[in-house]
Amino acid sequence: MQLDDTHPPTSVKGLVFDVQRFSLHDGPGIRTTVFFKGCPLRCRWCQNPESLRSRPEVAFYGENCQACFRCEAECPHGAIRRTPGRRVDFDGCDGCGRCVRVCPHEGLRQVGAWWSAEALVAEVLKDRDFFVDGGGVTLSGGEPFAQSPFLEKFLPSLKAAGLHVTVQTCGHFSWNHVAPLVPLVDLIYFDLKHMDPDAHACCTGAHNRRILENFTRLVATGARIEPRMPVIPGSNDDRANIRATARWLAQNDIETIRCLPYHNLGEAKGRRIGIKLEPLTVTDAVETAMARVQAAFAHEGIHAVIDD
Amino acid sequence: MLSSTTEDRNETRMTDRVTRLKAAVQESAPGICTERALIWTRYHRHPANRRKPAAIQMAEALQRVLTQKSIAIYPDELIVGNFTAKRVGGSLYPELHGLPMLEDLFKFPTRKTNPLQITRREQWDLLKIIPFWSRRWLGYRTYPTLGRRLRFILHQLRGEYYLINESGGIAHLAPDYARLINDGTDVIAAEARRRQAEAEPGSERAHFYAAVRIIAESLARFGERYARRAETMAARESDSVRRAELKAIAAVCRRVPRQPAASFHEALQAVFLAQIALNLESLDNAICPGRMDQYLFPFYARDLEAGILTPARARELVAAFCIKMAEIVPVFSERLTRIHGGMFNGQVVTVGGVDADGRDAVNDLSHLFLDVMDALRMRQPNFHARLHDGSPKTYRDRINAILAAGSNSPALYNDEIIVETMCRQGYRLEDARDYTGVGCVEPVSQGRSFASTDAALVNVPILLELALNEGRRFGTRCRTGVPTPPVSAMRAMADVRRAFEAQLEFQLTRLVDDLHAVERANRLYHPTPLTSMLLDGCLENGACSTAGGARYNFSGIQCVGPADAGDALFAIEQAVFRDRKISLTALFGQLRDDWPDPEMRSYFLRLPKFGNDDPAVDGWTRYVVERFNHILARFRNTRGGAYTTGLYSVTAHQYFGELTGALPHGRQQGQAFASGIAPVNGMDRQGPTALINSVNRLDFTQTANGINFNIKLDPFTLRGKTGRAGLNGLVQTYFRRGGMQMQVNVLDPEMLIEARDHPERHPHLLVRVSGYSAYFNDLTPAMQEEIIQRSCLAHG
Ligand code: SF4
Ligand code: SF4
Repeated sequence: MQLDDTHPPTSVKGLVFDVQRFSLHDGPGIRTTVFFKGCPLRCRWCQNPESLRSRPEVAFYGENCQACFRCEAECPHGAIRRTPGRRVDFDGCDGCGRCVRVCPHEGLRQVGAWWSAEALVAEVLKDRDFFVDGGGVTLSGGEPFAQSPFLEKFLPSLKAAGLHVTVQTCGHFSWNHVAPLVPLVDLIYFDLKHMDPDAHACCTGAHNRRILENFTRLVATGARIEPRMPVIPGSNDDRANIRATARWLAQNDIETIRCLPYHNLGEAKGRRIGIKLEPLTVTDAVETAMARVQAAFAHEGIHAVIDD
Repeated sequence: MLSSTTEDRNETRMTDRVTRLKAAVQESAPGICTERALIWTRYHRHPANRRKPAAIQMAEALQRVLTQKSIAIYPDELIVGNFTAKRVGGSLYPELHGLPMLEDLFKFPTRKTNPLQITRREQWDLLKIIPFWSRRWLGYRTYPTLGRRLRFILHQLRGEYYLINESGGIAHLAPDYARLINDGTDVIAAEARRRQAEAEPGSERAHFYAAVRIIAESLARFGERYARRAETMAARESDSVRRAELKAIAAVCRRVPRQPAASFHEALQAVFLAQIALNLESLDNAICPGRMDQYLFPFYARDLEAGILTPARARELVAAFCIKMAEIVPVFSERLTRIHGGMFNGQVVTVGGVDADGRDAVNDLSHLFLDVMDALRMRQPNFHARLHDGSPKTYRDRINAILAAGSNSPALYNDEIIVETMCRQGYRLEDARDYTGVGCVEPVSQGRSFASTDAALVNVPILLELALNEGRRFGTRCRTGVPTPPVSAMRAMADVRRAFEAQLEFQLTRLVDDLHAVERANRLYHPTPLTSMLLDGCLENGACSTAGGARYNFSGIQCVGPADAGDALFAIEQAVFRDRKISLTALFGQLRDDWPDPEMRSYFLRLPKFGNDDPAVDGWTRYVVERFNHILARFRNTRGGAYTTGLYSVTAHQYFGELTGALPHGRQQGQAFASGIAPVNGMDRQGPTALINSVNRLDFTQTANGINFNIKLDPFTLRGKTGRAGLNGLVQTYFRRGGMQMQVNVLDPEMLIEARDHPERHPHLLVRVSGYSAYFNDLTPAMQEEIIQRSCLAHG
């Protein structure tokens, strides 16, 4: 990946932490997935903690570090520590990335870079020949719609190139900013995490009113929407929530939901960038929970597809 | 109409018989059989025999082997014929690689990699023939004068710049088995007799025809030996079912290979007997049945129609045939194992592709072979599948499903580019369309090419070492290359290129000189009448294949380490001439002393590398291949054919790497080179699409001897319908843009476990973790465990 710039941009740029080519399970066909950085939610089960903050960060790979301390001399903020196993003082670090460039051992890595729309379009077009059989570009994150000013420049270019565009959203965005973008998107994966406002707030740090409003509005535009639900045993897989979700879907004339199994992979990644996730109590084996949830949805007349 | 039901197609379960046959072969420890070596020696010990024309000597020696070697019919067998006296075994060819092979004589049973069983008695027998062959083996006879002879042998033993495989025999061909099963040996012998009558008595031509007649008759009698054996066994057999089977075997072997095959069973049996005899004649390396789904199909269709065969029975026969192929193993010394890998003798079976008119040729047998391959998953044969624009969806789907499930086979071949490349080399269109791979990856026209596809391997990166050191290895005073200017006099990248090209040209010229001598030695001392009678053109021309009798003649030369050489050249251009990070003289010092400054090395390691979709660096690998091919194209072999470029290395990239000094892309002295056309070890960091974009930048019409492009994918990515469709998209895009060959390897649990325990061996193994990919090494131990678990599940 080409790092454009780690300084805050002068013109409108997109903050992206990964461009993943040959994605097969993020929409139809072979896709390039762009991971946008910055998310309005703080889900306790987050599996991409590096997507949370809306600024560039550095990650520390302690197993590669040879304790040469070149990074220390380079840091303008004195954010490098000599404590074994910890190098970056994440509170003092502003993610400028100067240390990354001098580290000879890949002990530090930049997480997040500002991309111009042109550069990002060029990057996704590299795999254009592979976007056969319905393939294309997926915008993921983080929350892609949180960067709507950038998307206003980026999405029209994708459409002009004739690419199929999928967006994965948590639904927590400002409708006025996003409404004009909707016609530029071919498919929206919309996450429904919990129907109960309080439970939602407790799990994700935000209320679900806005999310559900946006859902209804999106449905009303006629856009192609596929709802998804990350199934977190013990958090949102109870009968009552499944029933409420199913009713909500039925109200919106939707018959199918994709269920995503929970993997506990976020924790280790979070540690590298100084994000500590509260350990989650998972009450059930993932497979059991998935089967149970699928049956519960079926009981309510909703077809639940288990993604993996 | 012969469309089998879906049920038939998906039937991968094997009959109990096949399961037992497979177990018997897999559980036998491979051994060395002395029969061929001893019979061969006995024949040649007679001075009277040694005075006969070479072709006659060859035919008579092989005749002795076929009549005197022990034969066996094992329990449950339907297709019979034993290559050696051991269930799984290899033969020795003292007249070919003679002495060098026997250097391991006492190590074979105990060595760590690929041990081969041999008894004390057998070792002793072999020891006794060494003196006889010590001045008669082919390498020794390559040059007439003692000085050149010794120099040649020494060069071959060291093999820094190139290795000539031809000096151990040629082989590497796909015989005209269609002719064998449609005509039988009597018809071929009759043709030879007719033609001999027209040849001048006592001429090389007349001898050749006489040799063909001897060997055609011997092959027929070889079949009859099995017929007699089966009859005897039937008479003693108490089980009535097996007795009937043995009688059927006897009836089959009474007829073939002497007469035209009258059934599918007979056709398979004829091919296998010829397969054994050819391996015993020319060398047990890459004798390839080739397009079996094509030449066997008429027999299959006829039998099915006549009601004497069912698809299930055909599957059982094909499985029995394939298992027999796995009984044949090569005998390599440890040194040769380092170059040629283990236990692989490259007997290719190809399915699919187009017919002579360019129409799709996939048939029910193509599917049947794929089923058998998937069900057996044995080391041999080496399965290839041809694809073209019009390949049917059912065929592609079947292949994708097999690959996604982790079979790592078949290897995929692109008809469009291969046929075009072959036509540019002078093949007639319909002959090019009838290509099959031989050995590893080399395309030849079935039954028409004598292409010596594994003639030699060239260490290309080492030539950059010579180019930077005035034609000398680092740390030596003696000049083994051509003098080129010192680095201090190189002012621009063009100077480096010129020096590199001069070294390349110098070594390739030397190589071709040596090859000419080896080709002559093969013709003089090791003609191959049996091979020739099964190659179109030889009978017509009255010349052995070793003398250029076949319709198409080539020699394949492998360009080993193109990505290493390309990345190294790019590193010089970028660091020395563009960024001015270091002077060429200082870089030279780093290389000579094997990177005394680790930080400097780290900088060079981090420069862009081939395989990451970066046109600037990919262009250098393309340059290396083009220069190599350009220089090679100037020469002609003594059979009148061109030298063609191949991009595969088996394991020679490791061997050559060990001999080569430090190189500017951050590679340390002695490190292995990248295999085939792969990026430098683990340096492809952008995933499969980027890698394919890079590989597609090469021009494969320049690599007529074939390429090996290995792509490793995570089974988790390939899961389900989506995964298979994704794989299909990768292959189709790569081929549509001019890709030549591709082998899909699915990461298996063992590889992941190795990566966990030895991270340095797999620095950039890409795996999928919940929607994004990660380098395996970057994962925490717990995550690594989860990935390993997952891949165990995927592998079932
Ligand atoms: S520069 Fe890299 S290797 Fe050196 S101390 Fe910093 S993180 Fe560790
Ligand atoms: S990224 Fe953070 S630690 Fe690194 S130099 Fe910048 S402020 Fe310092």
